[in-house]
Amino acid sequence: MLLTANQPGPPIGTASEFDASKARKQSTLIRQRFFRHKLAVTSLIVFLLIVAFGMIGPLFWGISVDDSSGGRFEPPSAEHPLGTNQIGKDMLAQLMRGTRLSVQIALTVAVLATLVGVTLGALAGYLRGFVDTAISRVIDLMLIIPAIAVAGILVKAFSGSWYVVALVLASFGWMSIARITRGETLSLSQREFIEAASASGATTRWVIFRHLVPNMVGSITVNATLAIALAVLSEAALSFIGLGVQIPDTSLGLIISENYAQITTRPWLFWGPFVVIVALSLCVNFIGDGLRDAFDPRQTKVRA
Amino acid sequence: MIRYIIRRLLISIPILLIGSFLAYLMVASAGNPLAEYRAQPNVTEEMVRSLEISLGLDKPVIERYWIWLTDFLSGDWGESIALGQASVEVFDSVMRSLWITFRLVIGAELLAILLGVSVGVLAAVKQYSIFDYFATSAAFLMFSMPVFCVAVILKTYGIEFNNVLNSMGMERWLSTVSPATTGYEGGFIDVLYQYTGQYTLPTITLALISFAAYSRFQRASMLETLHSDYVRTAKAKGLSQRRVILRHAFRNAMIPVTTLFSINFAIVFTGAIVTETVFGWRGMGFLLVSSVRQFDPNMLMGWLMVTATMVIIFNLVADIMYGVLDPRIRLA
Amino acid sequence: MSIKKSTLSAFAAVVGTSLVLSACGGSNGDGGNGSTDGTTDIKSMATAKGQSGDEYTSPDVEQGTQEIKVSTDNPFTAYNNAAADANNSYNSFALTMVLSGAYKLDGNDNVLLNKDVMESVELTNKDPQVVTWNIKPGVTWSDGEAWDCDDFHLAWLSQTGKVKEGDADIFTAAGTTGYDVLEKLECPTPTQVVTTFSETFPDYKSLFGISLDILPAHILEQETGIADITKLTPTSDIAELKKVADFWKTKWNGFDAKLMPSSAQYKITAFEQNNSVTLERNEKFAGKPGGPAKIVLRGIADQVAQAQALENGELVVNSMAQPDANAAERLRNLSAQGVTFGATAGLTFEHFDLNVENKWLKDQAVRKAFMQCVNRDELVEKLVRPVLEDAQPKGSLIFFQGEDGYTDNYAQYTGDANAAKATLEGAGYTIGPDGFATKNGEKVSLKIAHTDIPRRKQTVELVQSHCKPAGIEIIDDTDPNFLDTRVSQGDYDIALFAWSSAPFKSGQKSIYSTGGGQNWSNWSNKEVDAALADATTNLDEAAATAAYAKADAILAEENYSLPLFPLPRMWAFKGVDKVFFQSYYGTLWNANEWVVS
Repeated sequence: MLLTANQPGPPIGTASEFDASKARKQSTLIRQRFFRHKLAVTSLIVFLLIVAFGMIGPLFWGISVDDSSGGRFEPPSAEHPLGTNQIGKDMLAQLMRGTRLSVQIALTVAVLATLVGVTLGALAGYLRGFVDTAISRVIDLMLIIPAIAVAGILVKAFSGSWYVVALVLASFGWMSIARITRGETLSLSQREFIEAASASGATTRWVIFRHLVPNMVGSITVNATLAIALAVLSEAALSFIGLGVQIPDTSLGLIISENYAQITTRPWLFWGPFVVIVALSLCVNFIGDGLRDAFDPRQTKVRA
Repeated sequence: MIRYIIRRLLISIPILLIGSFLAYLMVASAGNPLAEYRAQPNVTEEMVRSLEISLGLDKPVIERYWIWLTDFLSGDWGESIALGQASVEVFDSVMRSLWITFRLVIGAELLAILLGVSVGVLAAVKQYSIFDYFATSAAFLMFSMPVFCVAVILKTYGIEFNNVLNSMGMERWLSTVSPATTGYEGGFIDVLYQYTGQYTLPTITLALISFAAYSRFQRASMLETLHSDYVRTAKAKGLSQRRVILRHAFRNAMIPVTTLFSINFAIVFTGAIVTETVFGWRGMGFLLVSSVRQFDPNMLMGWLMVTATMVIIFNLVADIMYGVLDPRIRLA
Repeated sequence: MSIKKSTLSAFAAVVGTSLVLSACGGSNGDGGNGSTDGTTDIKSMATAKGQSGDEYTSPDVEQGTQEIKVSTDNPFTAYNNAAADANNSYNSFALTMVLSGAYKLDGNDNVLLNKDVMESVELTNKDPQVVTWNIKPGVTWSDGEAWDCDDFHLAWLSQTGKVKEGDADIFTAAGTTGYDVLEKLECPTPTQVVTTFSETFPDYKSLFGISLDILPAHILEQETGIADITKLTPTSDIAELKKVADFWKTKWNGFDAKLMPSSAQYKITAFEQNNSVTLERNEKFAGKPGGPAKIVLRGIADQVAQAQALENGELVVNSMAQPDANAAERLRNLSAQGVTFGATAGLTFEHFDLNVENKWLKDQAVRKAFMQCVNRDELVEKLVRPVLEDAQPKGSLIFFQGEDGYTDNYAQYTGDANAAKATLEGAGYTIGPDGFATKNGEKVSLKIAHTDIPRRKQTVELVQSHCKPAGIEIIDDTDPNFLDTRVSQGDYDIALFAWSSAPFKSGQKSIYSTGGGQNWSNWSNKEVDAALADATTNLDEAAATAAYAKADAILAEENYSLPLFPLPRMWAFKGVDKVFFQSYYGTLWNANEWVVS
């Protein structure tokens, strides 16, 4: 699944370097290595369960997330296993919605940040010269602008919906991926197959997406995974200082920040979402670790 | 080398300019700091207007930025325009907040580096031992917890801890809010008791987060050097394990960590914002959040100039240290 | 988490500023809203030890030797709280013990003559209105200079709103009410001030002191080189006036011991910007000294953090103008450790303004149906009672519960969706297949506009679920800049925000009378106009109250605006005998009477 993009580029005579059958073997190998990593596999399962809890859970749970007919701060009961919040909403329904939106935010951030980061990083590393300088300066610029200021302003201007928060986090999450990709591209560009491709007149887009990206798929995947974990925590931090997701939307971070003061009086309101958020980011981190082992850099080095 | 530094610093100037312009534009056009004034009893449009003129809010945003920039370049950082802030001097506020955050961050970072590096080295040397597993799990757990949860948990149990101390007849030690103006009293031991009490909780919060990053990083880089040819050679020469690790492996394994220290800066700062909020310290985090919430571009600019300069310097330092520690890397 | 509430937000009820005192004096209690932990009588703490009748004299209280720490939401920022850019309630929380005035308020907002510094205040003529203020001889600032007529003169000069360059008031005072109709101020002797009004102003007791606006004129004279401030009037040389305005606006910020003496029980001795201000007993105070030796007042933005610090023994008093359910609960649970928690209704109330120019809301039936479907008791139950257990929905736009003149004009609006539906159907609306009322094929849909405060979002969420069964679609219109331009242009269907008004009633005129400065949806009713005009110029207290009540009743009949609830304020303390959160001055208003154990 991971190396399907690694097909030989038709117009270029580098088929020996990218033999299709060999590549498929490579991907099988990686998959095997990943599934041998017990912790990573367990984490993957837990992660999928959490996602299912957020996405499918509400279908089986009778109480709507918008239903505020319960009393305020009801203790856990059969009807409300996690009790209700201040305005009488069922906490379990809240938690499901929060989980879903947190996962949505994290995945969106990871996808967007990876797309932008890889594209810009590869462009900078491959084209060099002016493009490289320009992109590097943009990265420098983004590093000094405080993400919180931008988040605060956008959230105030366009409401605190989950996608606004996701966009803000993505626009400040791509720089490190771009830097790593740029570095790898710089060294890959020295290789004969890239030089051959560009010499035979392949477009920049072709070289980047057909040759460079498939060769960096390991580090890209690992970094994308870590971006998910980072996004989960960043969203929580933003929501905590009030510049993230806003009601009526909710998220794990928002739920915790609304209820953290209840840690001793109504522990379920704090520990429930806390466990979900820690499990979520712990799993993603372990999956990333498993992937890194699977794409062992030593192996790729031998091949590249 | 000096030419390199100068060139890097010169490049930073236009970046700072563009960054400040964008940030100013965003905050200034996001909202009017005087909005709440209208809902007060008997406030007329005329009064709102007078105040706008007095604070310079009647001018277009671009012109306000230009005024800010020229003032800034001549050394005047301007005044806050947030309602109820009494035209506070930006420079004073920023420096005061910076000092508060600095005191908080420096202890935490030192602690984190010290612990992180030693745990990382030990875990690498004794790879796959129980210690390694324990250190790894702890680091992963720290990685995966939102900072404010750590802070909230520490604070809650800190109070419990104090209650225990109290019941044993001792003075309450841990403090849950930032220190007030009135210094410390008593002898050296008393002062130490009060001082550590005030810093312990927020410092641990911040240190735990950084500790995770340092220990993981140090472990990985130590493993890599341990498997490198020169270490193998050193071992083959018959040098003692201790000497190999300390003289050969450790020194080179430190390189990535030094850069991490600089890159980590941003993460620590974000962590500090949250930690400050939980423990009621009015440092840089508080300043940033309040200037954004109150649509106070002048205050934000002061904040931005200081932090951006620090980001630039830390990045530069990281690159230079990289060169010093690893002669193979040349700065150009 | 308080940091996410805008620091100024709903509690823009800034002390001092445009405070207008009702001639009918204060209320006699908060309408049974005092909340206690069951053993301590919080309500009785609203009365100061030193008050008797309409007067206050600092009582004989043990002079404590302790240093105590008190917290509130935000830190002190400026000595001159009458300047618009400095003005915020948290300054008054410290200044109440630093600056004396002719009158002061007790915990129930009764107006008391400050006998520590005043002999008497007399209404010497009714038409034109002339008021004579007699200062007690020998009252001084803590630097030894006399506290007298020139200080009154500066207060007037700076707040008339008439010292203009072009169109703009060069002083930018936070409020000008009362001073703008004060035509002439004379000083026959240093201890006598004679003021002549151009219009009748029944709330004259709100001037000179209630808003902590009497600042040391002698310091301004020294620093600006102006020989005699009393020679300056709004029409004097603009260059001289600008020197005064400049100093007044900018030099009394933060703290500088040389420029900021005290005229009351405590003086400021230290200040750490953004953190705390330290008060110590003022030995030069004209009245009797008392209270703790040293008070550190600090700002802690997060209410839960305040509560935890009290729990942890780092503070002895919490005071929170921003109510927070989590902190309230935490503090209540500490009663076993000797912490007393109190909460009472404040003088800021949330309400819905219905824009009568909206195409649906111009029909009174829709306004009535909306009011019928909103379940205000549920709003109070979920949003207010966690802090103030016996809170009730507010039934009047002009009066607060417990005040003379209060009647519940909105008792019929209990959240009855069926009644609302019936009202709509009676007015020719039909309920469509989707359950929403329609007329001429259009769905009745109303947007509630408000700023992004969590409590307001929750209010809208709850109202959405209340009004849906009645066939009214409610759309959330959150706009952080709502109060900036939209509200003043009447750009809303329904506005949800807070007025900070009573017990000072004359501000109502600008909100509810035709063409009023804050009447943003151009509401107009001749009877209300007449009643308010009468009320705001009538020197007879009973007649004025009756006129206000009349206006209030008509407003309710016309379904113009729906009051929801007063926002509570809350506080807690441990080891002090008697602490009450005065709505304008915070907890320190009677700190000179505190006995710390």
